[in-house]
Amino acid sequence: MFRYFLIAAAAMGIAQASPVARSLVRIEATSQDPDYKAPWNPGEVSGGVGAGFIISGNRIMTNAHVVSNGKFLTVSKEGDPKPRQAHVVFIAHDCDLALLSVDEPGFFKGTTALELGGIPAIESVVSVYGYPIGGSRLSVTQGIVSRIDFQTYTHSGMDSHLTIQIDAAINPGNSGGPVMQGGKVVGVAFQGYSGDVAQNVGYMIPTPVIRRFLKDIEDGHYDRYVDLALSYQPLFNPAARKALGLEDDDRGVLVGSVYGGGSSDGIVKPGDVLTAIDGLPISSDATISMDNDSVPLAEVVERKFKGDQVSLDIVRDGKPMKLKIPLSDPWPFNLHSNVYDEDPRFVVFGGLIFQPADQNFMTAHQPDDLRLRYLFDFFIEDKIYKDHPEIVVLSGVLADPINVYANEFRYTVVDEINGTKIKRLADVAAEFAKPADYYVIKMAGTVRPIVLERKAVEAARQRILSRYAVTKEQNL
Amino acid sequence: MISRISFAGALFIGLSLSALAGTTPPPKTDKGVETSNASILRVNSTNQAYDFFRPWTKKAPFARRGLGTLIEGGRILVTAELVANHTFIELEKAGTAEKSSATVERVDYECNLAILRPNDPAFIAGMKPMKLDQGVHVGDRATVLQLEANGEIAQTLGTVTSIAVGGYPLDNMGLLLVRLSAPMQQRDGSFTLPAVRDGKLLGLLMRYEARSQTADLISPPVIAHFLTEAGKETYGGFARAGLAFSTTRDPQLRRYIGLSEPGGVYVTDVQSGGSGEKAGLRQGDVILAVDGNAIDQDGNYEDKEFGRIAFSHITNTRSHPGDTLVFRIFREGKILELPVKMEARDRTKIVSESYVLDRAPRYVVLGGVVFMELSRPYLQEWGADWLKAAPQRLVFYDAFQNELPQGRGKIVFVSQVLPSQDTLGYENLDNLVVSKVNGMEIRSLNDLDEAAKHPVNGFQKIELESDPGVLFLDAAAIETNRDKLIKKYSLPALKRL
Repeated sequence: MFRYFLIAAAAMGIAQASPVARSLVRIEATSQDPDYKAPWNPGEVSGGVGAGFIISGNRIMTNAHVVSNGKFLTVSKEGDPKPRQAHVVFIAHDCDLALLSVDEPGFFKGTTALELGGIPAIESVVSVYGYPIGGSRLSVTQGIVSRIDFQTYTHSGMDSHLTIQIDAAINPGNSGGPVMQGGKVVGVAFQGYSGDVAQNVGYMIPTPVIRRFLKDIEDGHYDRYVDLALSYQPLFNPAARKALGLEDDDRGVLVGSVYGGGSSDGIVKPGDVLTAIDGLPISSDATISMDNDSVPLAEVVERKFKGDQVSLDIVRDGKPMKLKIPLSDPWPFNLHSNVYDEDPRFVVFGGLIFQPADQNFMTAHQPDDLRLRYLFDFFIEDKIYKDHPEIVVLSGVLADPINVYANEFRYTVVDEINGTKIKRLADVAAEFAKPADYYVIKMAGTVRPIVLERKAVEAARQRILSRYAVTKEQNL
Repeated sequence: MISRISFAGALFIGLSLSALAGTTPPPKTDKGVETSNASILRVNSTNQAYDFFRPWTKKAPFARRGLGTLIEGGRILVTAELVANHTFIELEKAGTAEKSSATVERVDYECNLAILRPNDPAFIAGMKPMKLDQGVHVGDRATVLQLEANGEIAQTLGTVTSIAVGGYPLDNMGLLLVRLSAPMQQRDGSFTLPAVRDGKLLGLLMRYEARSQTADLISPPVIAHFLTEAGKETYGGFARAGLAFSTTRDPQLRRYIGLSEPGGVYVTDVQSGGSGEKAGLRQGDVILAVDGNAIDQDGNYEDKEFGRIAFSHITNTRSHPGDTLVFRIFREGKILELPVKMEARDRTKIVSESYVLDRAPRYVVLGGVVFMELSRPYLQEWGADWLKAAPQRLVFYDAFQNELPQGRGKIVFVSQVLPSQDTLGYENLDNLVVSKVNGMEIRSLNDLDEAAKHPVNGFQKIELESDPGVLFLDAAAIETNRDKLIKKYSLPALKRL
């Protein structure tokens, strides 16, 4: 397994002038990460350092992960010792980019806004600026462009976009810093491998991703990436090609799944062969030729926005067809994505803690329960979202005489309360708000319910809240 | 999930005796040992397991050694684990090192017991068969026998600390266990050890935990049940009610379901096709009594011999397949009495078997695409952490097999692809569940073998439950390249059904 690190770290200091120094800022972020085990708690406060650079319009660009869950941000210019308070104006967790503003008038005086360049050529030299570990002042490293490919952006953990790999040393603290070539920004340094996995492998966010982010926010709102929401496989096998009525021309990929609720739902079918996207021929290895380079076919969609269309040439049952796909948000089930800047959602009732199972929850709790793991892992593939748009879990029991027998149900998934199917966390709160003598909670996969008597719950309420220092009973 | 059916006792992980360690006080003598000596044989079993990653091959052979106990009828009793996947079994007399081969006459992996018979009956002439001591109680003392390298018998005296229903190692079936506290030490060949008292067999040691110095013995009632069944014309095994239940200790639950009886357990699952289901037991029933024995809130009853133990002892050990037990149940405010005809589990109906021993895993190779039927030993090839490390789709099929629709049959899947010109582009595919082949539903490897005889338009069309969704193979080409494939990967055969 590869081990990634995100390259924000504690570092201090200011560096001497270099042309880029007039555009560089050091960002100190105080963040508070939510506590998914005691979700009413505000969470632990920690600090980190990253880099940022000034672009047009008095804006500072950095990585989303430098400022995520931020409570207080300061930026310092090169050569100006005073940190100034900054605010996040836009943040895009799916491509790990953010824009900051500084309130103090005159902060941008004497600074230079950097311009964006294009995609640097393989083997060409680039310079990386930032505040990595190993010292406290501005650091510059140099390397060449090693590879241009799609990579998972570990900040969200689920999205992959075009990424440029460079062999310049990129270390914790480089995050958000500009990667320069010919006086222009060709990328934002954002992640790499720790040295025990691979050496001299650093990644930067290339300008097509940066430009897309800047364009997306022009309307004052970040909409996220759009997605075809389907899976496809290379079509190398000669027998498969023949059986699908394709010529032996190394073109086309086979659609495996079309995800419900996504852009292609109801338009593309499993078994279709995609042969071209927006007129660009698709090779049998799922790449297209774009900007004189071979890139994954998804790059066409990557550069589009919510509401745009993409055209597909397909072969269905041996017949060629043309399809138009209106692109929307990725299907509304970003369950497997890390979430930031949100307080954990929960309901406490009778000492039972209910939480929706999302990626943050699963990372914090690491539950072993097989049914919960199944529902989470196969949420999209097996269309679990149809019955459970949210997987509501009994995540803990604040032990009290009224609930001691519920402990064996920890990490099981709530199916019904008083005969009502539970589809979302809000349904749990709604059922408990209704007057009833008994609250009968049925968990998925077992018929033996948890039974709470209303009188007992009411009598125990204050006792449980004060004993366990629960400051809030729900956050829906 | 099947493994939780029929018992509610706490499971624990035991070490097999090969992991024995610790110090031993000097052995104490027991007046029965002289008799014991004349009934004990060393059993050397060479075992060889199949490799579920390459189902046409066997893994390297290994040896297990243990002690067999001679019982009536010239038979030798050992644990089933000792001889699982055996290729050769050798008996050795203590002291004289005389040897003779043996065959397995009866083995039952659910109760972890096996009967061996010497191939030369004269080999055991002069030895004395041992009788079973059925009157074991907590606090009794028993001697565990081991063999020194020189053939002398080493003895460790232990005390029975509990008698309870617990999981047996191979199938996780809940059967009566005797737990013995005894400070034993590592000795060669300790895979089965007899525990004796006054020259009678009190149990067979099947696992030992060195840290707590606790040994688990296969209990006398389980041995007696096994021997009774083995004496019948048709071996019936151990019956199962096919139920999972949970306790009714929670007073709020008891009031909610209107249960005023003092005891009872809540039925949470009824295994389809099991004895309980056939008799009409349902989820949500509360079992109040079985065969006249009142069941408490935890699922225990008061056994005359062993005290408070799980009621599954009545259903699986006290009763034999074919017997009828009356279940007194509480259902929707009424008390009912249901006669339940007890039956052993029909292993041929199991979707994913918990063990596959003494027989080869089935497989079919088509062009280079390897198909198998899901079983737990396949998943266990991923090691101790298989629940998380093995392909999750298959883990979940195994775990939730009792929830699959009736008649789903076996889970047939592509276990791997042997790269060849016919499988170009498929090299990286593995662990994909097959739904159809050439348009025919696949519920077993036999279905697949049959479907492969009917290619469509010259192609073998293999439909999968997950990406890539479908595979095609050129039916004529894979026939032409058949011998090349066999030779390249040294396959003994392209299928074993």
